[in-house]
Amino acid sequence: MAAISIHRFAQCITCHAWSPDQSMVALCPNSSEVHIYKMGEEEWERVHILQKHDQIVSGIDWSSMSNRIVTVSHDRNSYVWNQEGTEWVPTLVILRLNRAALCVQWSPKENKFAVGSGAKTVCVCYYEQDNNWWVSKVIRKKHESSVTSVAWHPNNILLATTSTDGKCRVFSTFIKGVDSRDAAQPSSAESRFGEQIIQLDLSTSWAFGVRWSPSGNTLAYVGHNSMIYFVDEVGPSPLAQSVALRDLPLRDVLFVAERIVIGVGYDCNPMVFAADDTGIWSFVRFLGERKITSSNTKYGSQLSGAFGKLYAQSTKYGPGNDISDLSKLNVNAHTNCISCIQPLKEQGKAAVSQFSTSGMDGRLVLWDLENQLDLSEYICLFF
Amino acid sequence: MANTLRLYLSCIRNTLDAAMCLQNFPCQEVERHNKPEVELKTSPELLLNPILICRNEAEKCLIETSINSLRISLKVKQTDELENILTKKFLRFLSMRAEAFQVLRRKPVQGYDISFLITNYHCEELQKHKLIGFIIQFMEDIDKEISELKLSVNTRGRLVATEFLKQFI
Repeated sequence: MAAISIHRFAQCITCHAWSPDQSMVALCPNSSEVHIYKMGEEEWERVHILQKHDQIVSGIDWSSMSNRIVTVSHDRNSYVWNQEGTEWVPTLVILRLNRAALCVQWSPKENKFAVGSGAKTVCVCYYEQDNNWWVSKVIRKKHESSVTSVAWHPNNILLATTSTDGKCRVFSTFIKGVDSRDAAQPSSAESRFGEQIIQLDLSTSWAFGVRWSPSGNTLAYVGHNSMIYFVDEVGPSPLAQSVALRDLPLRDVLFVAERIVIGVGYDCNPMVFAADDTGIWSFVRFLGERKITSSNTKYGSQLSGAFGKLYAQSTKYGPGNDISDLSKLNVNAHTNCISCIQPLKEQGKAAVSQFSTSGMDGRLVLWDLENQLDLSEYICLFF
Repeated sequence: MANTLRLYLSCIRNTLDAAMCLQNFPCQEVERHNKPEVELKTSPELLLNPILICRNEAEKCLIETSINSLRISLKVKQTDELENILTKKFLRFLSMRAEAFQVLRRKPVQGYDISFLITNYHCEELQKHKLIGFIIQFMEDIDKEISELKLSVNTRGRLVATEFLKQFI
């Protein structure tokens, strides 16, 4: 099975984030608190409770280099938490928002973070040494509805956003004094802060869950009309592909490799998408599906199939149907919508082999791609 | 007849399954508010197209969806005046006890007999398939309940009439 660990932390988890060494997880149990759990000996142990917000926490991100946690909440505020000794000390960030904050992400260099909000704006915050506080610069009047997700390009300048008006936009977030000209790519270096590079109008419904591929060449996001969109060559002439699903819509995506995307959503089961040699994206399979072992298929698959059918029929009426219960348990690691997917990064590895998902059922599930034979060829192909 | 009812219900079940993709979503218009968008209708982009499923003229089901809430309005079959008054009284009795049912709306949408309001909070607390099962079960039972009520009213009427007319013999 691809799911290696399932643990139920709360009735509902809005979002979660991993510590740099992956030993701790910060999650919001659908309340105004953030709980930090540490993997003890066989048991998850709650080590910290971050209490400062007074409405539901909608976004958490834990920076991997500087070990700082940023949280945003529906109460319009954001806090940056620094670990001092054993305590987490909050610093209020003046976002200058008048509506709820919905999502947050640290930039790759961790000198900035972006906050998407229900005020139809995006705040880009950076630390000002002189005043010793976080300053927010706001991208206004570009979105026609709430900003549901933000994603940083690896170059630390470009920021992709999705919004409930169905559009995906890419902005430049060049801030003088924070970013240096030479570090940025030549094309993006000329643009000012808040300049819209591109607006993608592919979805007819709300758009969620935007992510860049590890190299920053491909952008993926999902629409509520059960579509997932892949955009190559983000710039003046982008190449877009859309893949329609036959299942319920997705909520979030994750690039595990340059050419493999995991999508999670209302189907309670992660979906794998991959691009072939020609660059055509397609749906591969559900990750949570129980694979029939090869030995079974070799020896009279017909017989076992018929027997299985008979067995299912006979157990439908009887109370002791433990086998079908077991398979049901295995198939559905999640029992409600999955709303958040996070990678477990290993040091010095570009591809992600493990990731975690959390959702409205309050479970945190760890997934492993290592022993997925049919997927490993995709992973090996590109790395 | 039972067969067409099953088709109607399975159509509603599938539509609800697709429509019940809700999430927590704070109000865009009012600060620090979080209200069902399908009721407020402040931002048109947060609403999806409403779906009307009709079995016939008298029986229909309207499903309105928004980003964080879903409204299901039912019109129950009423073939004669007696059924009409029974439905009205019975559903009013239920609506008055709406908080006991969680998802029941106190007032039906105009033109319908009873409405349900499902928000993202219900989806967080309850299981989706049970929630859909409840609605379908309710629809199945309501017809049965009304015809039973009608039968008992008729029986009682006949009994009373017999007793009353006995004195003239």
